[in-house]
Amino acid sequence: MNARHRYKADTLFHILLNTGVVIFCIVFATMIVTITMKGSMHLTVELVTQVPSDMYFNGGPGGVLNAIVGSIMLATGASILASTFAVPIVLYLRVYLGKRSFFASAIRFLMDILWGIPTIVYGAVSVIILYGMKASLLAGIVIVGIIEIPVLARALDEVAQLVPAELLEASYSLGATRGQTAFKVLFRELLPGFISAFLLAFGRGIGDAAAVLLVAGFSDSIPGSLLEPAATLPVSIFFQIQTPFPVVQERAYATGFVLMIIILCVSLLSRLFYSRFSRYQVNK
Amino acid sequence: MEKSAHLEAKNLSVSYGANQAISGLSLRIPDNSITVIIGPSGCGKTTLLKSFNRLLDLGDNVQVTGEVLVDGENIYSPTADVPGLRKRMGLLAQRPCPLPMSIYDNVAFGPRLHGLRSKKDIDLLVRRELAEASLWDEVKDRLHEPATRLSVGQQQRLCLARGLAVRPEVILGDEPTSALDPVSSKKIEEKFLALRSIYTIVLVTHILRQAKRLADYIVFMFNGRIVEHGPAKEFFENPKEDLSREYISGVIS
Repeated sequence: MNARHRYKADTLFHILLNTGVVIFCIVFATMIVTITMKGSMHLTVELVTQVPSDMYFNGGPGGVLNAIVGSIMLATGASILASTFAVPIVLYLRVYLGKRSFFASAIRFLMDILWGIPTIVYGAVSVIILYGMKASLLAGIVIVGIIEIPVLARALDEVAQLVPAELLEASYSLGATRGQTAFKVLFRELLPGFISAFLLAFGRGIGDAAAVLLVAGFSDSIPGSLLEPAATLPVSIFFQIQTPFPVVQERAYATGFVLMIIILCVSLLSRLFYSRFSRYQVNK
Repeated sequence: MEKSAHLEAKNLSVSYGANQAISGLSLRIPDNSITVIIGPSGCGKTTLLKSFNRLLDLGDNVQVTGEVLVDGENIYSPTADVPGLRKRMGLLAQRPCPLPMSIYDNVAFGPRLHGLRSKKDIDLLVRRELAEASLWDEVKDRLHEPATRLSVGQQQRLCLARGLAVRPEVILGDEPTSALDPVSSKKIEEKFLALRSIYTIVLVTHILRQAKRLADYIVFMFNGRIVEHGPAKEFFENPKEDLSREYISGVIS
């Protein structure tokens, strides 16, 4: 191929790439603007400070405080639960298994599959297994926690694979065991990556409607214990938008706006932590 | 007169898959002196060095046969205490690799692992080891800054201080100055010369002049075997093998 052809091809790819970025930005901006406009228009103090009254879904007074609190409790609990499993898995993969280990690739492959399974399947399976058990906040935390494990583990694993072997060798040559190296050196190096992975999992947890509808249930009050059913924002939005009343449907947009603000706050918070935790990182 | 040795390789062979890196090598490392391993790239220098603290077996597909004896005990026996062994073999890597923590914590890391708790003792130890590595004056006002903010030369001296803090018997250096500027290299070399009366030092280098400056004892390797080894003066002034002569005069490198 001569030079003129190569330059033409390059220009073509450049245009394609730019078009892709522009389309993405337009779609994304439309969504944000729609939710913000429609949502903020109908956002009231009542919506975020009160639980729904008996007539709420028919247009009566009240708010979605139950769902806000429920969602935050559920997603936080689930993300913490998922971390306690995902972090040791990742440390094990990096410290105990070699780069070319068959077992390690098998675990990664399995987690990729788990990541891709629709959450309704998790919900349905747990309903079958826990047949007869009442829907509760605890069940929601456990199931969403399980859903989050592959998300957290794979995101963190990608970072862990980039840690240079020299860092681990430095720790070993001071007489550290593999366990000490994993928790005292590798985990410290991975902290910033962990924050990002935690956020990713939290986002998946707080945004999920399908599984929580089945296992956490729904309730008009804030759960008083782990064994009571809990409302969540996505499920609340679903119920509101399903009603035939325009007033309630408008509140659904406002609820969506609240959900978006919560995710934005968590993202900003994690950025803040990120710079704190990356202070000591070796492999920046 | 032969010096005593508590580090010894006996009929050691190492291979990476089908690739034989060291074949049937036997060697005694003399105590309290600097032994320098030289040889062309890929001759097995680093492999030999890493076999001394069992960092080798971390890699995939590595087979080690034969023995490495530390105080007469084979470190490749299945019952060997590997972390305990590595504590006795300080390692200075090619590129300095600080741990993801502060300067202070880097030095304190090893002793804390091995049970040192008292804040006062740790303070003293950090100060002593940083001074030992000639780094104290440069970092005394910023002990709690991340170690990664130091220059590469300072980082390598920090790694030396960190290694010395666990009181090793042997210091292994894998081309420890290859990533450093000339001034920093000189500082590290001076440290080695100062430390040799207390420690047994084994260095790998590809710089012949550095070997001449530092070595008490030379091990010349080629293709996974020792061609010649002996006191440095003898080796450089009167090499016995043709290969050694060619290497010293720069015909092979």
